[in-house]
Amino acid sequence: MAIATRGTSSNYLQRAPSPSGLADVLDVILDKGLVIDAFVRVSVIGIEVLTIDARIVIASVDTYLRFAEAVNRLDLSQTETAGIDELRNGGSKGERKAKGALEGAKEKIPGMSSDKERSR
Amino acid sequence: MAPSATTTGVYVYGVVRADELPAVSADGVGDSAVEVLERDGLAAIVSRLPDDFRVKRRDLNRHLQVLEEAFGETTVVPCAFGTVLASEADVETALLSQRRPELEAALDRLDGTVQLNVKAAYEPDELLRELVAKNPDVARLREDSIRLGDAGYPQRVRLGELVAGLLDERREEDAARILATLSGVAEDVAVDDPGEYDALKASFLVDRKQLDRFDARLEEVARSLQPVVRAEVIGPLPPTAFAGAAAAQ
Repeated sequence: MAIATRGTSSNYLQRAPSPSGLADVLDVILDKGLVIDAFVRVSVIGIEVLTIDARIVIASVDTYLRFAEAVNRLDLSQTETAGIDELRNGGSKGERKAKGALEGAKEKIPGMSSDKERSR
Repeated sequence: MAPSATTTGVYVYGVVRADELPAVSADGVGDSAVEVLERDGLAAIVSRLPDDFRVKRRDLNRHLQVLEEAFGETTVVPCAFGTVLASEADVETALLSQRRPELEAALDRLDGTVQLNVKAAYEPDELLRELVAKNPDVARLREDSIRLGDAGYPQRVRLGELVAGLLDERREEDAARILATLSGVAEDVAVDDPGEYDALKASFLVDRKQLDRFDARLEEVARSLQPVVRAEVIGPLPPTAFAGAAAAQ
């Protein structure tokens, strides 16, 4: 029952006829649907799945630090900014060009995790 | 239909017209059978729950499968996951009979439509790279915080704050653009809270006859926003995001 597709999915647009994965299924059926008065409804079944990490984005220092971390880890070798990096201090933590292990270790920023977890 | 002596309640998946009863082969929630209760030209798709019923993750999929099967054959007004009424009598009288006008209105409104869930998400590195390239403040703070290492904590906070603000602006623009492009070919739209790296998360109610146009416009706007944005569309889906609104009209 897929919608008429213009060929296969591309990099910029992915099509799926049905949700796969818990988050997508929840998006469709949780708290979405006809509302039945409390008068007749005995119970909405509570489910432990709500302990799934449903991220609520709250502006906070932690959020800012995560953004900064992500920006600092960028490999900018394809942009002009990379040129400036190379001239000044040998580039970002993510770059690997022609750098000895010792040099790399010196510039390593402590406390930066490699956690690339993305919020959904 | 004599109620089972051990029934906890009646789980309701959704409402359809009684003269268009769908054949549902899927197992219901709690492995119970999927049945139909009729009254006054309407029918509720239900399962009688056993006493020892406890929700499992697979019940989420069951609920959706039942809806999808019914939706494949007829117009459905879906109920939210976890809707349980006390008894079959309650389903027939309090729901189907007493709320008949709303339910009929909802069915009429939803006839011939499908739901499409659209998510436009940012590729984080692409987005951040673009922010660095286009914002000298960001580039400068990035260099400073890298150079300063541990001592660059204030710079990192300031950098993150700046990026967060720019991302918010970008999200607003992109969401507005996508909505403007797609709303013209949709009957209705319901916008959800986007995730941190999402531009937009929304459900669209689309007339089946407009599906091709909707898809073409979505393709177009997604292509125009690449590579920073990557879009996904799921559907056609039963119109869960629009059942309440349809009934209220």
